[in-house]
This record gives sequence, structure tokens and C-alpha cells, in this order.
Amino acid sequence: MTLNPDTWTLYGASFSNRLLIGSALYPSPQVMSDAIEASGAEIITVSLRRQSPEEAGGQSLWTHIQKLEKTLLPNTAGCHSVKEAVTLAQMSREMFETDWIKLEVVGDDYNLQPDPIATVEAAEQLTTLGFKVFPYCTDDLVICQRLRDVGCEVLMPWGSPIGTGRGLMNPYNLQTIRERLPDMPLIVDAGIGKPSHAVMALELGYDGILLNTAVAQANDPVLMAQAFRDAIRAGRQGYLAGAMPERQTASPSTPTLGMPFWHQQ
Amino acid sequence: MKIGIAGAGLIGRLMAWQLQRAGHKVTLFDAGDELGTNSAAYVAAAMLAPYSEAVTSGAEMFALGKPALGQWRELLQQLAQSSSHVVALNDSGSVVVAHDLDRASLQHFAQKLKAVAGNDPEVKQLDRAGISGLEPELPASFRQGLWLVGEGCLDNRALLVALQHALVTGGAEWRANVAVQSVSAGTLNTAAGAEKFDWAIDCRGFGAKTDWPDVRGVRGEILWVRAPEVRLSRPVRLMHPRYHLYITPKPGDIYVVGATEIESESQAPVTVRSQLELLSALYSVHSGFAEAQIVHSFARCRPALPDNLPQVQVSDGLLRLNGLYRHGYLLAPTVLASAIKALAGDYSGAFVQEQESVSRKT
Repeated sequence: MTLNPDTWTLYGASFSNRLLIGSALYPSPQVMSDAIEASGAEIITVSLRRQSPEEAGGQSLWTHIQKLEKTLLPNTAGCHSVKEAVTLAQMSREMFETDWIKLEVVGDDYNLQPDPIATVEAAEQLTTLGFKVFPYCTDDLVICQRLRDVGCEVLMPWGSPIGTGRGLMNPYNLQTIRERLPDMPLIVDAGIGKPSHAVMALELGYDGILLNTAVAQANDPVLMAQAFRDAIRAGRQGYLAGAMPERQTASPSTPTLGMPFWHQQ
Repeated sequence: MKIGIAGAGLIGRLMAWQLQRAGHKVTLFDAGDELGTNSAAYVAAAMLAPYSEAVTSGAEMFALGKPALGQWRELLQQLAQSSSHVVALNDSGSVVVAHDLDRASLQHFAQKLKAVAGNDPEVKQLDRAGISGLEPELPASFRQGLWLVGEGCLDNRALLVALQHALVTGGAEWRANVAVQSVSAGTLNTAAGAEKFDWAIDCRGFGAKTDWPDVRGVRGEILWVRAPEVRLSRPVRLMHPRYHLYITPKPGDIYVVGATEIESESQAPVTVRSQLELLSALYSVHSGFAEAQIVHSFARCRPALPDNLPQVQVSDGLLRLNGLYRHGYLLAPTVLASAIKALAGDYSGAFVQEQESVSRKT
């Protein structure tokens, strides 16, 4: 069996790398560019909300990002209502000439937990307006199903709240979503802190990872980007290779020498 | 020599003053007034914070920023001699705290600081007693913190005035409210036409973007509050998962509260959200700020280059200084020394980049 080409498809576009990476919080634009290149990511998320998009205030940084020649996924980070999210999505469609949008509607200001109800409503409106929506949601199966029902072809449940770096807080929920929506591209978005968290998500059968803080705020962002690139590859290969099941007790693969068979249990 | 300087922010004034002291004939142009109200230097908190800045900017910045306090002490002494203005320098360190819920942010700050500074003796862990020993008015709910002993801040508005007086009394020509549109070798171009000099020096910061496309603005929003009920004696930083607040004491019961950091070149007034974030964080540090007066709110663009470090570009008859970003006061003495050396043909200073057209003076 060959592992190549191991591509995946998001709204009809094919990718070979399974990391989506954010463009905020780096020590400098130079470090951002270096880290993104090191990560191998083909998709970069960009945020508009606070940058006075109506006067293209963030143009300098966006130019820097566009020079990387990656696929851009604008987001609606910082929006608290359906209306704000839809307006910002329309602005970023014009600005970046893409109908892709990472939908994020904040429900709680302290931990930035998404508002599941507003997210479904905004996703429905955006889909009607022709957007290809990547919704950031909690790890709730029913919310995921509703998002699928309103037209999302990709789902992005969280591992844990944004910026916490706590990894997969509820692997059971994530696994349930995977099993119940076997053909839907699934991306773990938010909460990834360490490369081992990414390995776990890929081993669960998730198709990709979206992260930002874990790389941008590492002591050495470029080195951490490489670590995630390798972790995602390892997790994916582990999933494809088919892991052995866990067992309750150790089962030695050869008899213990020097012990009579009637003592071996 | 006859030297024309575009931009009378911090670095433009310092260059002009040093070159005048060295006997050159200096003309200084600025799009704004003599006080420098247009400049990032005017609204800045003017902290000398090599440790705090090292956390985001890394080892090189730390090494070059650490001598800043000592360098400023010397510069201010020289300035006192040449202008009779005494500019206050607060060298009592800074305190970093976090609310219990945000402890992880403080730990992350400490971890990154250690990665750059190692076990530096000027980084001291604080418990509740330690915090109240330094700043008795901080609430007892702050149970952990850091005292960054080697940090300080200076009275930047007094500094800008002192430099202006020193320059004008020393015979410099000051062209206020004259915008320089472009700078090239030996030439400053204004609406009135080109003016020729032996050296043209571009210190326009964000304003130099048209001549130096790599320069970008990073929007910062900052508030000045007057709080007679509050007594903080040194800069206090509050760690939070999403924004870092600092409160820097200035003369006259004024505290500079900042600052947002937004990758935007908008200079529109401070937004409601930014003001809410800054003020709610401020109030959480000291309830005495409830009745403080908000005397100013400013939004300015910090001039930055792609690596967020300064650069001194030198070619024949032309010197460009830019990219001081968040580190204007911290790195100004180093950048100043590098630029003065570069003018004399020595390109070995920190941040100096020779341009191709330079014919080496040997």
C-alpha cells in the first residue's frame, strides 16, 4: 500500500498538507513567514475584524501574507452576532477575492467559546450568499449535524477553547462526530498546544488541524512549526496504518523463558 | 557639514541634537508642531523595558536594550548641561502581575523571559508580600508577580521639549508644520521645492513609507488618565490571555495606559472596544482609577519593519532610520550611536545596513 498521494479535499480544492495555520500573534511578520513556510501549511487564516477593513488598514500585513502564495481563509474572529459575521464575511470576500470563510461567532467573551446557535444561523445565511463556510464550533454532534444540514461541507470542532493549549479535552465527543459523519472533512480547530495533541487528533481520523497560538507564541515559533508539520504527518500515517487495539493486560509475544508453562498465565 | 533632517520625533530630535553638538549646521523639518504632538514619541509611555520586550522580540533586542537605562542617564545629563532642562528618569524597575484566573499568562511570560534572559538576577519572583512591599496600593488579590529590576521609564514629553530648546538655542533651524514628501541623497523635497544638504537624514517613521515600502504601521491606542487617588511608583504590567496592559506613572498624577497592538495602518480615533478593554483592565488593577479623568486618547502608527527591529540604512549623502516600532525609547540610544558612526564612515554599529551605492571611505 502506498501512502502517496494522500490528499484531501475542501470544497473541491485538493491539498496534501493537513495543517491550517493562523497569521496572528507572531513576534514579527518575518517570523510569521518563516514559521508558515516551515510548517508546510498550504492554507493560512487571516483576520480582518480589528484592522479597520473599511479603510484597508491591514494592507501592509496582508501584502506580506499574500506574498507567501498560499490559499487564504479569512475569518470572522471577534464577531459577536450573526449580522457582524455576515458583514465581515462580505468585506473579506471583496478584499481577498475568495468565497471561503472561517465562521466564528463568539458566544462568551472570556473564553471565546463559539455561540452554537448563532453559528448555525450565520452559516445558513452565508451559504445562501454563496460562501463556502468553515464553521468553528464546539464538539457537539447535533450542532455539527445542523451545520452540515445548512450546507457546510467542512466542520471545525474545537479541541478545547481558543488559546488554552489543553489539547483534546473530550476525545469521546470528537470520536463520535468522526464516526457519525464519516465522509465529512473534519478539522480540529482551537486548543491545540503541543505536537502530541495534533498526533492524537489525526490518529482519531480527523483530516486536519487548525492552529495559531501554539506556534506563534512558542519560544521558537519556526522550530515549533516544524514539530507540528512532523506530528501531523506521524498522526496521519498512524491512522492510515491502522493502530493495534489497546489491551487490558500485557501479552508477551514470546513465552517467558525459564518459567514452567503452568506458572505462565 | 550642512545636514537636513526629515521628522522631528524622538530619533529625529536626538540625531539633530547630537549632530549640532558635534558642530554641524542642522535643519529639522516636521509635518507637525514643535511639541511633537503628531509623533509616536509624544504619545508613547517611554518605558525602558528590555526584559518585557525580550519576551516578544528575542535575544538580540534584549542584549541591545539592556544598557538603555545607563545610556539614557548619560544622555539626560548631557541634555541638562546643554539645555538646563532636567528630565525625570524613573529607574525603580517594573512590576508584572496577573489576576488569579490569568495565572497561566504570567507563567508563559516568565517562561519566555527565561528562555531569553536565563536566570537573570534582575528578574525577581514576587509573592503577595513582595508585591505590596513595592506597590502597597495594588490589591491583595495579586498573589504572584515579577519585579523586573533593570527596567524604568522617562518623562518623554519633558524630553521632547528639552531637546527642542537645546536645538533652537543652539542655532538649529526648525521648520515646523512643513511636511517632507520624499528624501533622496542630499535632498529633502517639500511642497516648496527641493532643499540641498551635505547629508539628508530620514527620520519620518511611518511617514517614510512612500520612500521605504517595507515600513508598515502598527496601530497602537493609548489613554492618558489623571488619577490623584492612585499612587503607583513604577510601571505595572497586567498579563491577560488576549491583551497586555501597562500603566506607566508620569508627573502630575498622570498614568499612561496602553496599548493595543493592531496590524492596521488606520489612525482613526480609539475604538470603543479598545477603550473598554484598556479601561476595564485598568480598573481591575486599582479601584482608585474609577474616578480618574481620561485626559487624552490617542491612536498612532508605530513604524515597523518586517522583523520588527530597527534599521539604519546608509548610502552616499543619505541616511534612513526607521523601524523603532514598540522600542523607540529603549533602542534610541543604540540606533543613535550607530547612525552617528555611520555618518563618519563606520558601518559597524548595530542595525546598520550599507546600501549598494556606498563608496567606502577608508
